[in-house]
Amino acid sequence: MTASRQGAPGFSLSRLADVILPKLVLAPTVLACLVGFYVFIGWTAWLSFTESRLLPRYEWAGFVQYVELFGNERWWGAMQNLGIFGGLFILVSLALGLLMAVLLDQKIRFEGAIRTLYLYPMALSFIVTGTAWKWILNPGLGLEKMAHDWGFTGVTFDWIINPDFAIYTVVIAGVWQSSGFVMALFLAGLRGVDDSIIKAAQMDGASLPTIYTRIIIPSLRPVFLSAFMILAHIAVKSFDLVMALTGGGPGFATDLPSIFMYQHGFTRGQLGLGAASAMMMLFTACAVVMPLLYSELRRERRG
Amino acid sequence: MGALSIRNVKKSFGNTHILKGIDLEIEKGQFLILVGPSGCGKSTLLNMIAGLDDITSGEIAIGDRVVNKLSPKDRDIAMVFQSYALYPNMTVRKNIAFGLDIRKVPKPEQEEIIARVAKTLQIEHLLDRKPMQLSGGQRQRVAMGRALARNPTLFLFDEPLSNLDAKLRVEMRSEIKLLHQRLGTTIVYVTHDQIEAMTLGDRIAVMKDGEVRQFGSPQQIYDAPADLYVAGFIGSPSMNFIPVQLREEDGHAVVELDNGRAVQKVRLSPISDSQRAFVGKQVVLGIRPEQLTDPESAHSEHGNLQTLQATVAITEPTGPDTLVTVTFNGIKTVARCHPRAAGAPGQQVELTLDPTKALLFDPTSEKRLA
Repeated sequence: MTASRQGAPGFSLSRLADVILPKLVLAPTVLACLVGFYVFIGWTAWLSFTESRLLPRYEWAGFVQYVELFGNERWWGAMQNLGIFGGLFILVSLALGLLMAVLLDQKIRFEGAIRTLYLYPMALSFIVTGTAWKWILNPGLGLEKMAHDWGFTGVTFDWIINPDFAIYTVVIAGVWQSSGFVMALFLAGLRGVDDSIIKAAQMDGASLPTIYTRIIIPSLRPVFLSAFMILAHIAVKSFDLVMALTGGGPGFATDLPSIFMYQHGFTRGQLGLGAASAMMMLFTACAVVMPLLYSELRRERRG
Repeated sequence: MGALSIRNVKKSFGNTHILKGIDLEIEKGQFLILVGPSGCGKSTLLNMIAGLDDITSGEIAIGDRVVNKLSPKDRDIAMVFQSYALYPNMTVRKNIAFGLDIRKVPKPEQEEIIARVAKTLQIEHLLDRKPMQLSGGQRQRVAMGRALARNPTLFLFDEPLSNLDAKLRVEMRSEIKLLHQRLGTTIVYVTHDQIEAMTLGDRIAVMKDGEVRQFGSPQQIYDAPADLYVAGFIGSPSMNFIPVQLREEDGHAVVELDNGRAVQKVRLSPISDSQRAFVGKQVVLGIRPEQLTDPESAHSEHGNLQTLQATVAITEPTGPDTLVTVTFNGIKTVARCHPRAAGAPGQQVELTLDPTKALLFDPTSEKRLA
């Protein structure tokens, strides 16, 4: 048996290809992932424990950068902004997306056209969204100007230049861009619900709102999770939107950790501090996502 | 006044007529089967009874109430769906309680009902599980439990067994029958499976192309099918249809069967008036496989069995019987024989035919010549 195998070189060659080819094909991706993610995470982690300023230096300096970061008022302002922006952005996008999906699911006309319309903002880059909303929200240029031109001179809508409200304009632009995508996710989930479940609930005497709140929406739990994950990571890494919309201002009113990290790391010559803030962002993301993933995986395994 | 009356009910979408005037009536406690191929309108009719589809014209009455305009929840009915339609986010207990909850049944009473239903269907140990954790048969039980909990005047079943494997289907079939006998409920049951129809029903409505082809008891439909379609649809293996020329001799209908070697004369029952009109013309002779069998297995109350010679083409053993395919008048004909008397392909066998059970059909209108 073995002798005949060795005697047929073509056979063993094809076997070799069977073993090696998949690995060969996957290797570039795996390599890119390894270098692109983990090597750079490692590098950043290492830098965060040094006193690097304009250029990387590799002498161990312990937790100096973290101590400085935690004593930095601007950092805490950025974290607070992230909390406000992230929380509202996720909540409003979920609520609006779900509402639009439920309304679209009522077998209405032109559903395809409306669905596409809702999805279009997703096709824009955050830079474009930010720039467009900067103009729309600019009191001398956008909505306020329009209201004034129409004669409603009492209208003031200057959130974007008001330090107390500027962060909410970021929420508006973010929601505008993402809620359509959330709608698509929920709509797919709603379409997956067996029609006869709705019929059965009707025969049980439930009204349409009851059917949605007690049966359909609870069964969309996995969709909520995916939507939350996607929105959460958009919120945490949010950078271009704020840069285009407000540039982090007025003052530091819309400063986010990502802007903090970019400015310290690349424009202010505080590479170590920037690396430390990047690591804190990573931990924040992990702190949000890990428990959710863990509980969901456990649920699946149970049943 | 029946438990369910369907009077000249029609359903159309523009020029497409799904149901073309259905008339059915059943008494309280009866088990009505709507059977037919897919697209015959049976599920549409069931949905109209349930109130999930509009009625284009006609009238549906449950008890003495016309329900045309009532919403599903006010019709006092419960339905079991093909896909079970259990609420995936609720436990079995909550699934059963949901309808009661909506109808504001007090909690202690709910508990009582759930306990009773769970005991009837033997699902007590499943009450705290989610539908995802149940097998097909268990889901089926829960779906029936949900229907039972409401204690409606009418139960609707929409192909409830077609998602189960063959063995479980037979089990659940007899369980549904037992449940019906025990509770005496009125049931409308849709299926495309003629065996389910025969075994379960008190009354069967055989449907095709939006019409009821025949409405009667299972035995009536089996023994005296109204037309070629019903005759071929009910019974497995299907009835044999052999084209023959009808003659009359001494007041009896007589046909000739050619087995390829010789033409054999078969004397059937005394000829009826409607049959006499076809004397000298082509008709279709309908014989069920079990009425064409070997002399050893044959039996007749009348004793005038007709003997035929035929050449075996194929034998298909099923265990208790062997299906023997022979040829008469150029048509493949199946006979159900005792395995010992089945012969082998190419062999000559002797078969007997029960002339009292043989049917004649008009080949153009396809109606049975009574």
